[in-house]
Amino acid sequence: MSRVGTFLKQYWMFVALGFLLVYPLIWRAPYYHVLGFNTLIVATAATGWNILGGYTGYKSLGHSTFFGINAYLVAITANELGWNPLWSAPLLALGVTVVALVLGWIMARAKGSAFVIATIAMLLIFRLLALNVKSVTGGAPGLSQPLAPWSPEYSRMPFYYYMLFWLVIALLVSAYIRRSRFGLGLLAIRDDEGKANMVGVNTTLSKVLAFGVSAYFIALGGGIWSYAQTHIAPIFAFSILNDVDTVLATMLGGLGTLWGPVLGAFILIPGSDYILFNFGASQFHLAVFGVLMVVIILFLPRGILPSLRDRLAARRETSSAFTGASTMEDLSDSQPRGEVPGREAPAP
Amino acid sequence: MLIQVAVIGLLTGGVYAVMVSGLTLIFGVMKIINIAHAAFMVLSAYLAYWLFSGLGIDPILSMIGIVPLFFFIGKVTQRRVLSPVGDDPGLLVLLTFALAITLEGVLGSISGSTFRTVRTGYTSSIIPVELSSDLTLRLPVVRLTGFVASFVVLGVLWLILNRSGLGRAIRATIQNAEAAQLVGVNIARVRSTTFGIGLASVAIGGALFSLIFSFNGSSHLDWISKMLAIIVLGGLGSLPGALIAALILGVAEAVSAVTMTSYISPIVFYLILFLTLVFRPQGLMGAKVREG
Repeated sequence: MSRVGTFLKQYWMFVALGFLLVYPLIWRAPYYHVLGFNTLIVATAATGWNILGGYTGYKSLGHSTFFGINAYLVAITANELGWNPLWSAPLLALGVTVVALVLGWIMARAKGSAFVIATIAMLLIFRLLALNVKSVTGGAPGLSQPLAPWSPEYSRMPFYYYMLFWLVIALLVSAYIRRSRFGLGLLAIRDDEGKANMVGVNTTLSKVLAFGVSAYFIALGGGIWSYAQTHIAPIFAFSILNDVDTVLATMLGGLGTLWGPVLGAFILIPGSDYILFNFGASQFHLAVFGVLMVVIILFLPRGILPSLRDRLAARRETSSAFTGASTMEDLSDSQPRGEVPGREAPAP
Repeated sequence: MLIQVAVIGLLTGGVYAVMVSGLTLIFGVMKIINIAHAAFMVLSAYLAYWLFSGLGIDPILSMIGIVPLFFFIGKVTQRRVLSPVGDDPGLLVLLTFALAITLEGVLGSISGSTFRTVRTGYTSSIIPVELSSDLTLRLPVVRLTGFVASFVVLGVLWLILNRSGLGRAIRATIQNAEAAQLVGVNIARVRSTTFGIGLASVAIGGALFSLIFSFNGSSHLDWISKMLAIIVLGGLGSLPGALIAALILGVAEAVSAVTMTSYISPIVFYLILFLTLVFRPQGLMGAKVREG
């Protein structure tokens, strides 16, 4: 392997981080700052969501409930108490996490499809409340809050760096959980909840904690988004499309992997921005999005990273002197989709 | 006054029963929550609307074409899109959700966000029924038609399930898919046919829906939650349960809409859905939601 290749292989994280640090300085138009900021919000949310959806396999379609709640909390406390969202967003997100722990504890009883539908119902209940409890939320028109103090010339740049900081924190937490005893328990729940329970994993507690941790990073993004937007409305704060972004990013990159959600977000959000830009005002972008989602689930159900890893492993086998190598590669190329743990091959 | 409202709610509940019958049947056989069910209903309503406004064909009549078309779409969708994914409930819900937003996007970009409804000559006709000298019920013809049609549809579904070879295979698959396969039931065919029947029934639901309600491409999100509340309350997979729950919720919705603040009634729907899922997943009657 070339020297550059070895270098990249060892320090790619720092190269990527370095690129993200200089990105807003190279591309200075506000458009790029907004795009970068949005991508980082989804990357952080997806990293959080993955702790529940990827590690335990419980796929929530209603986690943007917590995004919305914190967006409103941040706006209300900024208006009424003069709190600065930069510190109130991560603080209030802790409060939202408590709400999430309670809701998660109620929902831990539901499994499979029942869990998914319950999460959607949760989102719709909160959205209706936000639309209708006008004295608190301002109803459908929404709420405004004070502008950020810095000059508009810097636009979203400070938000971008702030969100980048939180993405790094989210990744550290996700990596720590993955290696911890708690994380092993979560993976065991994904593989077989009954057996996990039998070998001594407190499955209910683990699921509720995972629910709470994943809610924290989504709520955090909601709070910072609220400050950056300055004006928020229920249809954007409590939107199932936010969940779609999060889930799709995670699945595209690799469900249950550490870096998958981030990679997915960095492909998906600029990509969908491109689609929006080209198919513009019509609702057609929704159709393109839907088809994309179907294609990913059908043809890349494990995501980019795990598929890539298999390819690389197969390549390594071939280049070694192992005589059966070609068969190995054939085998891993034709891996049936059903070999993911916890999923069976379709009935014949 | 309240009796009048309750009766209208009951008639509406009958139409709800047709809308959800396919959804609960599909869950019974495949353990799939078809989030795209309401989107397919809105598609059928649009087809009925276009046939009516373009060619003047009455929605009741246009069913003759739409129903077989939906049966075919259902069969192909199950074969080509759903069955290759396996049986992870989370993935399947995501997949049907993806189908739903695809349909929403297509319908939205064709038709815009204007709300549509089919206004036939009998849309505002009312049949008065005199119960006693001081109580006359006024029954809207469209809702009455929907109510009657819904019992025809449910009757046909009941006959298919209980009096045909296909029905026997479907019931066997609901009870125990592996055992059914062992005794020679072609499960793959049963599944795709069930999905076809499910969409065919929602095609009828959509045509009736186009006569009673107004809709646009995004309406399906409001309706799918209502449908889910009904079939979850009725017990997932149970047709009689779905009918009873549809009638109950139809009446409850109509009554709560006139007695309480307007936004409380949809919240009641979602709360029923949420609480039933969490605390009584078997619903009023019928099987528990199986875990994935």
